[in-house]
Amino acid sequence: MRDNTLKYLLVLPAVLVVFATAVWPLIESLRLSFTVGRLNRPGSLDQYLGWENFTWAFSQEPAFWNSVWVTTVYTFLTVALTTVLALGLAMLLAPGGRFRSGVQTLLILPFAMSPALIGVSFRFMFNPEFGLFDAFFGVIIPPLADVSWLADPVLAFAVCVMADVWGWIPFLTLVLIGGLASVPQDTIEAAQVDGASGWRVFRDITLPQLAPVLAVVIILKSIFSLKTFDQIFMLTNGGPGTATQTLSHYIYFNGMKYGQIGYAASVAWLMVIPMIFLTYAYAKFVFRKN
Amino acid sequence: MAEVTLKNLTKRWGDFIGVDNQSLEIHDKEFLVLLGPSGCGKTTTMRMIAGLEDPTDGEIRIGDRVVNDDLPRDRDVAMVFQNYGLYPHMTIFDNIAYPLRVRGTPKNEIEPRVRKAAEQVELTEFLHRKPKALSGGQRQRVALARAIVRTPKVFLMDEPLSNLDAKLRVTMRAELKHLSRALKITTIYVTHDQIEAMTLADRVAVMKNGIIQQLGTPDEIYNDPANLFVAGFIGSPAMNLINGSVQDGHFVTTGGTKLVRVAAPDSPSVVLGVRADDMRVAEEGEGDLDVRIYAFENTGEATLLTVQWGKQRVIAKGDRHLRKDQDDIVSVSLDSDHLYLFDPETGDRIKR
Repeated sequence: MRDNTLKYLLVLPAVLVVFATAVWPLIESLRLSFTVGRLNRPGSLDQYLGWENFTWAFSQEPAFWNSVWVTTVYTFLTVALTTVLALGLAMLLAPGGRFRSGVQTLLILPFAMSPALIGVSFRFMFNPEFGLFDAFFGVIIPPLADVSWLADPVLAFAVCVMADVWGWIPFLTLVLIGGLASVPQDTIEAAQVDGASGWRVFRDITLPQLAPVLAVVIILKSIFSLKTFDQIFMLTNGGPGTATQTLSHYIYFNGMKYGQIGYAASVAWLMVIPMIFLTYAYAKFVFRKN
Repeated sequence: MAEVTLKNLTKRWGDFIGVDNQSLEIHDKEFLVLLGPSGCGKTTTMRMIAGLEDPTDGEIRIGDRVVNDDLPRDRDVAMVFQNYGLYPHMTIFDNIAYPLRVRGTPKNEIEPRVRKAAEQVELTEFLHRKPKALSGGQRQRVALARAIVRTPKVFLMDEPLSNLDAKLRVTMRAELKHLSRALKITTIYVTHDQIEAMTLADRVAVMKNGIIQQLGTPDEIYNDPANLFVAGFIGSPAMNLINGSVQDGHFVTTGGTKLVRVAAPDSPSVVLGVRADDMRVAEEGEGDLDVRIYAFENTGEATLLTVQWGKQRVIAKGDRHLRKDQDDIVSVSLDSDHLYLFDPETGDRIKR
């Protein structure tokens, strides 16, 4: 019995810390989402408003729908591009692939950078006056020579996608290299002898056996893309206009800049819906039996 | 017609020599076994024939065609892997059908051919299952069915029975032999198990350190070993190898005992090889040499006597009804028609 008490006593501090830093804020934000919640109006944090914040977002706020759209396109593009490119790289870098070791170490570098730093670097790179990428793209694609990348809604969005893909490829590549290493070599050799071409070996043998790892990679990256904030904040700050304003950026703006903490909390809780769905899918793939 | 011809085949990885300048002709419809201890180059040789490994040097021919530069799929071979190499995400039916599908066999032909192959290996009731739902022996049959569903020019089998338990291995061995006689397709079979080699092969190539030591029928390999390595590798229990010399036409042990008449010129140093079966065991004083029993083993079908022979131990096979005990004295005689002499320096056989 004494051992049992001690056991719980020892975990207690950790439980308290988690409660204070995660559980309580979560509950508090849920409460706030049903209040008027203006930071500049004392007492409004306790002023009950019902579902009005939520209905407001859906009916009165084009900027909300804009950020939903931006986040959706951004998530779809970054997940697709990162996964495809990482899979290609992993095939080249996997044991028995064409390149290895030295390249693998180099590859980890972008992942070692903080997303905010990536945002800053890309802003520099696309600076119209001294940006390296700006000059480079100007040379290989002449129509883009005089464009100011970050001032154009479509191009600024493209730069955001580019920066994110660049930053996330290493991690996904490493995970996929691990996944490829667990595909038994003799199934690949058996297919080669059975008569399959390189493409069919990949499609019929490698890819299906890689599917569970690939699913986890896609789900994880979707979660990361959905919550993107720091990189966008440093790179475009949501602009030009609201062209690159993702949901988390929209939430930040309304909560911190405009002081509408109640409204921001309710949008944040709306974002929980796709997150719960993805987390459930993730858990299903990672902890599934067999 | 598909004979396989290897000409001066070599495989090197840096300084390590896997296969060393070997030439070998495998006849059409022949069952050839590559036999040797692990690391002897037998699997490498097979993988080069399959196209899974590029030779450093030399030529591989299948039929009339030099296949060195052909991809595995263009060589028209079928292979059975040691770990079966089944596709875990496909059903047994799809596994067996895969070689047909990728080679563009018409859809309506696939089903009957898969069923026929499955029948040949007695697997028809498992076609809808996945490989992991099958036992080791059943998986082995799937791998076999996948190989025979097409009619390739050559079968390649890489230690196909070595992952099975001892009892299943004996059954599968017989099934393999039956199947290979029925199919009549050139087969190259890699194993380290000399019983498999003896029972299955038309001809055996015994390999060591990347070099074929002897190529011959199982009878030749067993009864007429070319050197010490082959003599020691083939047969269970292994052939007894006794150091000594030849003086006046007799073999004399290192201990100085004049033992048996041999038809060989005098030599200060030879190795005498004699199989346990070729030694007669008799009561003390009734044979050529009295020896003390070091260990007595009864296997049921025979008895094995390990006897102390000077400084060496020698195994003799006795009658199944013989009963002796440790430290008893028995007398053994050698059958002078079944003795082998080897040069201890080169390992080569000294022919009479």
